[in-house]
Amino acid sequence: MNKIKIKNNTIKFIFNIKDYPLEAIYGTAYVFIDNAYLFLNSQAPKKIEVFLKGKKKLSKKQLNNLKDEFLNELLHNTLRMTITKRNKKIREFIVSRALFSIIENIETKDKNYPEDSLNITVPWSKKKNKKIKTQSKKVSSKKKK
Amino acid sequence: MIVKFSKIIYYKKSIIEAIRKYRHLADFSLKTTPDYITVSIKNIDKDLNDILKDEFCNYVLYLMKK
Repeated sequence: MNKIKIKNNTIKFIFNIKDYPLEAIYGTAYVFIDNAYLFLNSQAPKKIEVFLKGKKKLSKKQLNNLKDEFLNELLHNTLRMTITKRNKKIREFIVSRALFSIIENIETKDKNYPEDSLNITVPWSKKKNKKIKTQSKKVSSKKKK
Repeated sequence: MIVKFSKIIYYKKSIIEAIRKYRHLADFSLKTTPDYITVSIKNIDKDLNDILKDEFCNYVLYLMKK
């Protein structure tokens, strides 16, 4: 990074786009939107100019601090992105494993019915036959007596 | 007032969306060249003259992240 200019409550600096992915730059800009006005430009190929303008009147020192905070945040975002890329396969594996175990549980629950104490699953015709048999037994026992 | 958005950094879609949100505050026109998307802003509300351009640029960046 080189060429830092301060003018009209704005600090301008340039950095190489090779060092930082574009997504990290957007992420950093998003963090600073509340505190400063941001404008990005790329006049030279693969180089990005950043214009940071304070929403309030800022001194040179404060503008320099703002620039340093911006660069720190940019590094933070870049690191986050590289870690995200590196761990992509592991994250996908963990999520797919978790989803797979849920599906397995659902399937086993479907197969094993809970105990049927009220005989709801017994067909009506079988229930009727049982009733007839029990009634006929009672009648025969009474007759014997 | 003219703002030149580099095509490497800014998407045309985001700029158009921002213009749609800000058009009640000024007159916007858009031109596209091979490297830049140029937005000219005219008839800006007097109260917003100092900040409209900056707020507009911030809003475009916000839409880029979105």
